[in-house]
Amino acid sequence: MKTSDKKRSFLSRKAQLRISNGLLTTLTWVLIAIIMIPILFMLLNSFRSRTDITSATAPLFPQIWHPENYTNMWKAFKFGPLFLNSMIVVGSTTVIATLIASMAGFALARFRFPGADVYSLAVSGTQLIPGTLFFIPLYLTFLWIKNNLGIPLVGDNLGAIVLYIGFYTPISIWILRGFFASIPVDLEEQAMVDGSTRFGAFFKISLPLAMPGIVSTAIYIFMTAWNELFFGYTLGVKTVPVGIRAFIQGAAGTQLRYDYMAAAAVVVTIPITIMFFALQKQFISGLTAGAVKS
Amino acid sequence: MTTIPMKRKSTSFLNKFRRNRIAYVFIAPAVLFMLLVHIIPTIQAFYMSFLDLNTRTLLEYLRAPFVGLAHYKNIIIGLTTGTGDALIKGLGQALTNSLWFTFWVQGGTLLISLVLALLLNRNFKGRGVARTLVLLPWVVPTFAVGIIFQFIWLQQGGLANRIFYDWLHLVDHPISWLIGPNTRAALIIPAIWNGLPFSTIMLLSALQIVPLDLFEAAAIDGANAWHKFRYITFNYLKPVIFTTTMFGVIFNFFGFGPYNIAVSLFSSDNLGKYNNLLTIAIVRQTFNNQLFGYGAAASVLVMIVALIFVGLWYLSFRSALTSE
Repeated sequence: MKTSDKKRSFLSRKAQLRISNGLLTTLTWVLIAIIMIPILFMLLNSFRSRTDITSATAPLFPQIWHPENYTNMWKAFKFGPLFLNSMIVVGSTTVIATLIASMAGFALARFRFPGADVYSLAVSGTQLIPGTLFFIPLYLTFLWIKNNLGIPLVGDNLGAIVLYIGFYTPISIWILRGFFASIPVDLEEQAMVDGSTRFGAFFKISLPLAMPGIVSTAIYIFMTAWNELFFGYTLGVKTVPVGIRAFIQGAAGTQLRYDYMAAAAVVVTIPITIMFFALQKQFISGLTAGAVKS
Repeated sequence: MTTIPMKRKSTSFLNKFRRNRIAYVFIAPAVLFMLLVHIIPTIQAFYMSFLDLNTRTLLEYLRAPFVGLAHYKNIIIGLTTGTGDALIKGLGQALTNSLWFTFWVQGGTLLISLVLALLLNRNFKGRGVARTLVLLPWVVPTFAVGIIFQFIWLQQGGLANRIFYDWLHLVDHPISWLIGPNTRAALIIPAIWNGLPFSTIMLLSALQIVPLDLFEAAAIDGANAWHKFRYITFNYLKPVIFTTTMFGVIFNFFGFGPYNIAVSLFSSDNLGKYNNLLTIAIVRQTFNNQLFGYGAAASVLVMIVALIFVGLWYLSFRSALTSE
């Protein structure tokens, strides 16, 4: 009691508040700086030479910058084809999975159809299946189909696309159902009174209105599919993560090309960073809307 | 008397079905993919866990020799006595590692993101920029997270040793982060770093719906900052903490995020005794050693553990969620 009285005589309540506010703001920026450091260090390393990266005495900021790390990496990793494959696999997955999930999310939000409860339970239930559990039989089935029917589900983009669509659809349905539920049903009914079919009303009215949710779902799928390493690696698909892993493991016995790895890490991060920050507002509101409401 | 309502019910069911026909068309593609990728393979996995599916019988597919509960028996013996089939010996260790890994990553992520969310919810200059920057680790693909932290942990030239040894002199010799017990921290820290943004924005969005007049009322009643947090803020955060923690635990326990980070961080999927996580161990035995039947059985057990966790989690927090 006494000490606090003393303090109050030194500093007014207002001044105390201002100081603690200032301290908290400083703490915020310190934490953000710590969070940023790994990314800044990656950027820095992508312009340093291989020997500088692994030297304890080399200055942190290079005396000679090495932008050629990027072109060398591109050639060494054969990055062009990897990038193209990733774009094909991740692009088609994103488009198809978003469309399928929009339709299912819409159905769950609009119709109390028999089986709706079981279906939505099954949708969330898929998240409790370990990846290894469904992937082991799926991989063997893909192999069997390839050997017996000749459809290239292993060693080709097709298998990964099928798997990714199925893998990312359930969580997308979850996000999108909340979105469609928040759109007033009157507008669709109006369109149907005006002679639209149910499909027409869905495509003309509901889809455009749910765009923020659809965009956030698409970004989410793109980000996670762009990330995906294990399924792609085992299915023998030559996407970016698989190519980088193969390169790193191939070199593990000798000397790792840290300079190339840094450049590659930067290059794979750029496309999603651009997409993410261009559409960030929609993405965040889309993803958090469902979570807070439910 | 009894048949009439029955009949009415069945016709109304049919009616309901017919009226909602279009809904089934809308869910059809999603159901098809769910069957293809989740449901049929899961049923097959249960069956395969009873088969001796390995390199030799691979091409026999579902006609591989039936061995009953042999895989389960081997795994349980291996887990309880530490003996058994040499190939699957590491599973008990992997289970322990995964439980600790999940605990530290989830606990660390929750605590730090709670602090971040509370800080970012205050009014200060540049708040928008700060809220954007905090999302950055999320954008980095998981396999690139491993590469980034490889640079940080390098014994010579790594950032961690530059900070702790060269600049702050906290240690008397450079730490070898990527060898021995230190590798635990070397994997947990990037996993927390990568998971922070998601947890933070979820908590932040929940904080924004806390009604401010509650704080004013509490202030009049003489509540201090801790009481306000404990009895007002925390109540609004509970549902989000409940769901993000549940999914966080599941993804850290059997998801592929930690796998991606670990494989690129250590440049190999042979991670030694400190970081041999469950997913990594199962994947190595299943695909590198081609023990598919064993892998299916181990995965079934992992799913059972996850289901038990979710059930217990739900049961113990449901009342807390609904009563307040």
